[in-house]
Amino acid sequence: MRSIARKLAALALALVMVLGLVACTNNSKEPEDTNEPVGGEFADQIVLGITSEPMQLEPNGPGCGPAEIQITQQIYEGLVSTATDGEIVPCLATDWTISEDGLTYTFNLVQGVKFSDGRDVKPEDWVWSLYRARDFELSNYAFIAEPIDTVEATDTQVIIKLKAPTPGFLAQLGCFNMVLGCKEYAESMTDDEYLKAPMGTGPYMLQQWNLGTDITLVANPNYREEGMPKTKELKYLVIADDNTRLMQLQSGQIDVAPIFPFSLAQAVESDDSLELGIYPSTQIYYLTLNTTHAPFDDVKVRQAMYYALNTKELASAIAGEYGAPVGAIVSATQGEWSNTSIPVTEYAPETAKQMLADAGYTEPVKFTLTVRTGSAFYEQIATLIKNQVDQAGFECEIELLESAATSAKFQNLEHQSTILQWVDDYQDPSGVVGWTVDYDQAQCFYTGLNDVELDQLNEQALVELDHAKRVEMYQDIQQRIHDNANVIPLYRNDSAMAYSGKVDGVYLSPFYVYYAKDWTKTK
Amino acid sequence: MSRLQYILKRILQMIPVLLVVTILVFSIVHLIPGEPARLILGDKATPAAVAALTEKLGLNEPLPTQYFLFLKQVLTLDLGTSFKNNLPVADLLAVRFPVTLALTLLSTLISVLISLPLGYFAGTHKDRLGDQVVRTASLVAISMPSFWVGLLLMILFAIKLKWLPAGGWDNTSLWGEFKCLILPAVTQSLMTTALLVRNTRNSVVDITRMDYVDFARSKGISDGQVRSRHVMRNSMISTVTLLSMRMAGTLGGSVIIETVFSIPGIGKLASDAIFGRDYAVVQSVVLLFAVMVLVINLITDILYSLLDPRVSL
Repeated sequence: MRSIARKLAALALALVMVLGLVACTNNSKEPEDTNEPVGGEFADQIVLGITSEPMQLEPNGPGCGPAEIQITQQIYEGLVSTATDGEIVPCLATDWTISEDGLTYTFNLVQGVKFSDGRDVKPEDWVWSLYRARDFELSNYAFIAEPIDTVEATDTQVIIKLKAPTPGFLAQLGCFNMVLGCKEYAESMTDDEYLKAPMGTGPYMLQQWNLGTDITLVANPNYREEGMPKTKELKYLVIADDNTRLMQLQSGQIDVAPIFPFSLAQAVESDDSLELGIYPSTQIYYLTLNTTHAPFDDVKVRQAMYYALNTKELASAIAGEYGAPVGAIVSATQGEWSNTSIPVTEYAPETAKQMLADAGYTEPVKFTLTVRTGSAFYEQIATLIKNQVDQAGFECEIELLESAATSAKFQNLEHQSTILQWVDDYQDPSGVVGWTVDYDQAQCFYTGLNDVELDQLNEQALVELDHAKRVEMYQDIQQRIHDNANVIPLYRNDSAMAYSGKVDGVYLSPFYVYYAKDWTKTK
Repeated sequence: MSRLQYILKRILQMIPVLLVVTILVFSIVHLIPGEPARLILGDKATPAAVAALTEKLGLNEPLPTQYFLFLKQVLTLDLGTSFKNNLPVADLLAVRFPVTLALTLLSTLISVLISLPLGYFAGTHKDRLGDQVVRTASLVAISMPSFWVGLLLMILFAIKLKWLPAGGWDNTSLWGEFKCLILPAVTQSLMTTALLVRNTRNSVVDITRMDYVDFARSKGISDGQVRSRHVMRNSMISTVTLLSMRMAGTLGGSVIIETVFSIPGIGKLASDAIFGRDYAVVQSVVLLFAVMVLVINLITDILYSLLDPRVSL
């Protein structure tokens, strides 16, 4: 009996040890006072499952990406915002005028706006915020605010003067980082502290951040719109694995899975309790060819690649019904800016071989395609490309490198080819076009092709005030990029959000941004 | 040599081992390609921003200077600051390490509770139906990848039965956290349990053939006492060895389980830090793992001496 008692005691001790350790992991803080529920017929909380934890929560902070943007967009607001169809709509500005020379933008402000801690918005907050967007040295989106020369503000107006006419500037103001912060609040702490303690005028404010697990936003009690936000609390859970996100959605642990992979779409569609939202996106995947090394220093070899790729098969295999091959580098979701007259080249291996032969290549042209590991998705695209081009006069070797090593390789132009993607940040073609033709931005999409004439054309398009002429210039630029064949569009795809059937109002903009203030969940 | 002296000696022996570990991990993380500043700031960062952050992170210093700074920090128990989270690494470890330790201990506990009785049963019923079933089941368990088992368990217990959460971390209560650990711990324990069952079974088969067991029985000692004092105690030596190896392995291999179940443990922290070139975190986590492995080995050696009086320290 004593032996059994000893064993039971040992077992109990072990259990207590485990429970004790679990107790040590409890890093939650006492909940703070929150607002009263906003809508009685709706649930108080919507839970979102996100795949990576933000590094910080300030739109001009270092490394701002999808994880940071989708949360900060609920906390901060700017003068204007971008509607789901890409139209620029008023936000903290009621209306605006643009001077004839395109240099001065005057915004009339919404009155009575307060920060979430109850402080009134002051003119110096606007000046500080817009200069911060332009000048904060660790921001990776400072280029959006680069056109700003000076900012002046009064209680009723914000006047922005530009260094040069920038017709896309209004769209750029709708970007996620052109937002209003509180100067006094930010200056009361260090920059590092401010990056973790955001405060804006948006519908939500940060309540709690449990490192590695969850972030909770609660309704801003001083929000300017009556009855908004409709849901009192947004809780973001960090769930790295997409399969786990799907299961948490099915089990009711989370309500929304933003930016959901198409590979799991069927499982969502076959579940009656779930919805799959499909939204037009500006995302395009590209095959980029390093023009500083053979064989892709020869434009004829690059052009042969168009015929060696079966982009219809690629789009269908990777994105199914949610993707399509594209000819132009600018997304068709950008409307008139996209040069839709550039055709999708039909797969013609014999033509590719002939073009290579005409260029003097009698043997298969060998090249290495460097792609990042850890993503079955990229490896799948690379495998399909290899199968296609190997039948068309090329000999492709796939080099799998870990993500950071891949980035280091193409950023130093030490690769031959790689697969990259782009999502526009605002409704204007200048983003992706600048990335592709302005050598100083990214060595022309990491292809090293310094086409000076094309760069000059881009410089002119950036400041052209005649809209029709500007559209024409961008059409021409896209055709020239197509002819250079250093960045080859593979396919475009929609974006998806998976969510519970109880949730209403969910959407994702073409720029991968959503505003959750009008989302509701029925009880 | 007394036990205390032995422990002190082993602790002193850890110092050169840990020093070598620091040199190795420092060299490896700094030699692999990938700029931390570029990874933190993203592709759209300007070269000026990358240069500013590189300077801020102290990565412009020569590598030996950076190494000695790291060593100095370790000796003063200041593990530096995470590049990515901009938080003291010690704070990150304080939050994440107990989760992984709790997961490892719970999975070990589950393994021990299941494997010892099953292994003994199979060993004492050698080649009979029960033994065949246990051996086949353990072979199947060894063959199944843990991430796949984890997903199956989630489908059954979270989606179908709704008894347990499908991953995640509910830090609102102790019970909530415990519930979140059950499925990951069961998943993680599967391989260890299967190995332990087979090991215990084989040990029991071998030991029950020994003369001293027959002699004990012939002396009229009860079956229970023969089982506990002679058979199980002697079989525990190889079991403890295997268990200590598996514990060290599960500590290091927790990244898959923590990713699949969204558990905020040290494995996921280490993996994110490696991919993000968060040098301070990688170095500290590897050092912590090294300390844990050395401590587990020390405990194992002490347990040998307790289990087998012939083993002296």
